[in-house]
Amino acid sequence: MGRRVRGTAILTVAIGLYAAFIVWYFTVLEGVDYDQMLESMPPAMMDAFGIETLATIEGFLGSQIYSFVWLLGLGLYFAYAAGGLVANDAEHDRLDLLLSFPVSRSRLLLEKVASLFLPLIALNVGVGATVYVLAAVIGEPIDVANLALAHALSVPYLLVCAGIGLVLSVLVDRAAVAERAAIGVVFVLFLLESVVGGADELEWIQYLSPTYYYEPTPVLIDGSYEPIDAAILLTAFVGLVIVATVLFDRRDV
Amino acid sequence: MGAIEVAELTKEYGSVLGVDSISFSVDEGEVFGFLGPNGAGKTTTIRTLLGLFAPTSGGATVLGADVRDERALVDAKRRIGYLPANLGFHEEVTGEQVLEYHASIKGDRRLDDLLDVFTPPIERPIREYSTGNEQMLGIVQAFMHDPDLVIMDEPTSGLDPLKQERFNEFVRCESDRGTTIFFSSHVLSEVRRVCDRVGILRDGELVGLEDVETLLDQGGKRVRVQTIDEASEALATLDGVVDVDAFADGLQFVYTGDYNALLEALASYDVREIEISEPPLEDVFMHYYGPDGSATDDPEGESSV
Repeated sequence: MGRRVRGTAILTVAIGLYAAFIVWYFTVLEGVDYDQMLESMPPAMMDAFGIETLATIEGFLGSQIYSFVWLLGLGLYFAYAAGGLVANDAEHDRLDLLLSFPVSRSRLLLEKVASLFLPLIALNVGVGATVYVLAAVIGEPIDVANLALAHALSVPYLLVCAGIGLVLSVLVDRAAVAERAAIGVVFVLFLLESVVGGADELEWIQYLSPTYYYEPTPVLIDGSYEPIDAAILLTAFVGLVIVATVLFDRRDV
Repeated sequence: MGAIEVAELTKEYGSVLGVDSISFSVDEGEVFGFLGPNGAGKTTTIRTLLGLFAPTSGGATVLGADVRDERALVDAKRRIGYLPANLGFHEEVTGEQVLEYHASIKGDRRLDDLLDVFTPPIERPIREYSTGNEQMLGIVQAFMHDPDLVIMDEPTSGLDPLKQERFNEFVRCESDRGTTIFFSSHVLSEVRRVCDRVGILRDGELVGLEDVETLLDQGGKRVRVQTIDEASEALATLDGVVDVDAFADGLQFVYTGDYNALLEALASYDVREIEISEPPLEDVFMHYYGPDGSATDDPEGESSV
């Protein structure tokens, strides 16, 4: 538990600092006609990184922080963290003692998942507040409701990434393998969604990727989002947890 | 009903047989030693008793709870203490933090008593623990909630002889308080001091279920003598001498006869060097259960001895 608190604190501060840098960088770039430059960029890349406009603070933060750090970086982080939840204990022979407690396997697994809510909430609140305050300081205030919504909608998405890690964590006994596999799966899903987005006949593949259901930039810009997306993500998360529970119940130790 | 009842329990992993149709029961308040060489299936049996492994066939109950019934077993676990073969404590936390964590889940009614007997340096991080200290911390956590049944996998491994003696004494006291104790070991001398009864496991099969007295009587002593040739020959023919191995200036054998007779015989020769010790467990098995372990026609051994 101590390590999780420390890790969360470090991560929150690090991303907070990155956010501060991005906000400051926006002030430096003011006056540069960014959107004109963007027209020369490949549309697939714009799509992949959620770039819509770089001329407003919302668009700039959406592409530099949310589509990049939140969608990809934290997605990978939560997949990784969840990948180690059970596999780490299995690898270090901790499950023997843990499962000798008067606690059911499913409850143990749920408590492990619950431990991820600490970084999930700390990061969203910590970095969200940092971004809000700094944007106000440079005189480019962001709509607080849109900012909060962009953060809130990231929770179901990050939970799905964690769910993918969790399933791998109960399947594999080696923490490093489970963690890397989880990172790999989430990254491949991210790439697939970006790549097939343009091709009609393979379009369905993008629906498999959790990244398809979370687009922070439009939320930041004008608060537009599809409630069904969040519902799909939450359903997927619950499904993944159920699969992990069944697998964990059935496995030896 | 016994504290532990095992009925035709079989556990396979793929094609590998962990334990093969073993049956035994441990009475309440009994100290039961589960004896066998490494790899015999002791840990497999123990893990099955705690619901960590699902049995392939057959079954078991602990404190009346079916090991396949998670709900019942979780309930029973409040009254069970467990010392696994590998403790896996986090390296960076202190012993005290480990115990606080365990206390928050299981309770710590007897913690202070235990820390008087076993003395791991609880203010230090586990990283700095010796194997013996870690094992002591493991023993403390197994007993801290005053369980009715304690299951231990090789509890004395890593303990120095003094701590081992303290452990034995402690187990006897616990047994007097009515706690049922089940522990595995591969060292005969360890179980003989504290156990009421012993089950012997070999290659996944229960080859014997004995009270300790019987086991020791059958076990005999291993004698290694350096002496002149004619003495060696004479000793080899003595009653109760088995498993004779001759070497250059003496011989080694297992002696199961009357000790006085052996000493008399030895006194009449020029003995240059002698060593009398407990025979290794393997030898006890070999001699009393046959090299293939098939000598027992009564492996079920349901009867309490």
